[in-house]
Amino acid sequence: MNIDLTFVGQIIVFVAMVLLLKRLLYAPINDAMEARTKKIEDGLAAASAGEEARLKAEAEAEKRIAEAKHQAQEIVAAAERRAAELQEESTLRARKDAAAIVDAGKAELEAEKNRARQELRAEVAAISMAAAEKILGVELDASRHSALIDEAISKELA
Amino acid sequence: MQIHLDTMLVTLTVAALIIGFSLWLRGKIIAGAPRGAQNAVEALIGFVNDTVRDNFPVHNPIIAPLALTIFVFVFLCNCIDILPAYLLGHTAHLLGIEHFRPVPTNDLNLPVAMAVVVFAMVLYYEFKLKPGHFVKELLLQPFASLLLDSKNPVVKLLGVLLIPLNLTLKIIEELAKPLSLSFRLFGNMFAGEVIFLLIAMLLLVGSLDELASFGGLLSEVIGFFVGLGWSLFHMFIGLLQAFIFMILSVVYLSIAHQPAEH
Repeated sequence: MNIDLTFVGQIIVFVAMVLLLKRLLYAPINDAMEARTKKIEDGLAAASAGEEARLKAEAEAEKRIAEAKHQAQEIVAAAERRAAELQEESTLRARKDAAAIVDAGKAELEAEKNRARQELRAEVAAISMAAAEKILGVELDASRHSALIDEAISKELA
Repeated sequence: MQIHLDTMLVTLTVAALIIGFSLWLRGKIIAGAPRGAQNAVEALIGFVNDTVRDNFPVHNPIIAPLALTIFVFVFLCNCIDILPAYLLGHTAHLLGIEHFRPVPTNDLNLPVAMAVVVFAMVLYYEFKLKPGHFVKELLLQPFASLLLDSKNPVVKLLGVLLIPLNLTLKIIEELAKPLSLSFRLFGNMFAGEVIFLLIAMLLLVGSLDELASFGGLLSEVIGFFVGLGWSLFHMFIGLLQAFIFMILSVVYLSIAHQPAEH
């Protein structure tokens, strides 16, 4: 067991092995592993970014949906308010129209009543004059006695 | 100066096999999911990278290939004797080669050569990365406080006088590293080989006449199973010694890379 020339030979073999294995085996395999690791890391980062973007988009969509719902609720509420106002206006207008119709009817009725009264008065005056002519046997002067007859009728009707 | 042809022949064969395998694999490397041999080598390189990364404070591109070479080379050299120790020797004897020893790590030249290379690298990085600190350690440890901390001129003089002792102790301490590294590997593999030979001598029969007897046959069967058991255990020891050599080399180089403490 002595150290001899084999020692030098073994140093040369060992150093050559280190250099050759570094160049031929370690470096290519390590490069492939690092490239794969980097690719996986990039993929994971991209997936993470995609997931983040998806979550962000979902949050944005939820926000917009909430805003849209809020806007829809506001629109519905405004429409309901407007509908109530229109209903109220319609009711008021209908009432006003009804009152106007009733008033017009009343006025027409009153006019009709007055006209009927005038007609009745004229007919009663004519009948009265005819009756008086028969009773008295003389012809009455309408222009002279009509005022008198009207006054009498007016008193009776009143 | 003589040269051990058996050691040189086996190490060159192992080196040629490893380099040949590397060249073969180099042309088959794929970027996607690895398969077969590439998968196994990637697992091995990943293990070496993790070991170096766990122990090393800085990145040095030569350390991981060095650790890989030590592990693979020592393991394969140790595993040459997965064949019964006497078989290769006997074959070599038939070919006219006397005293053939198949396991190169049994020859002190190989472990010492590797340990000296590692030691040279340790010294190189010590001088390169922290030259002042290393020289200070060489000259002033372990009695640095006598010279540096004391204000008494007599004690300081004593500290100066102790510099040769410090230097001697430090040289012994540094030399102990490659010595322990190489002798651990050599001792384990040599002992394993001796036990192989003992099993062969004690249990295996020496002639055909002995084999014909019941005792001789029984001894041969027992010898076969004992030898097989020891072969498996010795393979485990070979793997363990390869790992220990690698990890200690990484640790020694890591210490050389550690920043100097003030």
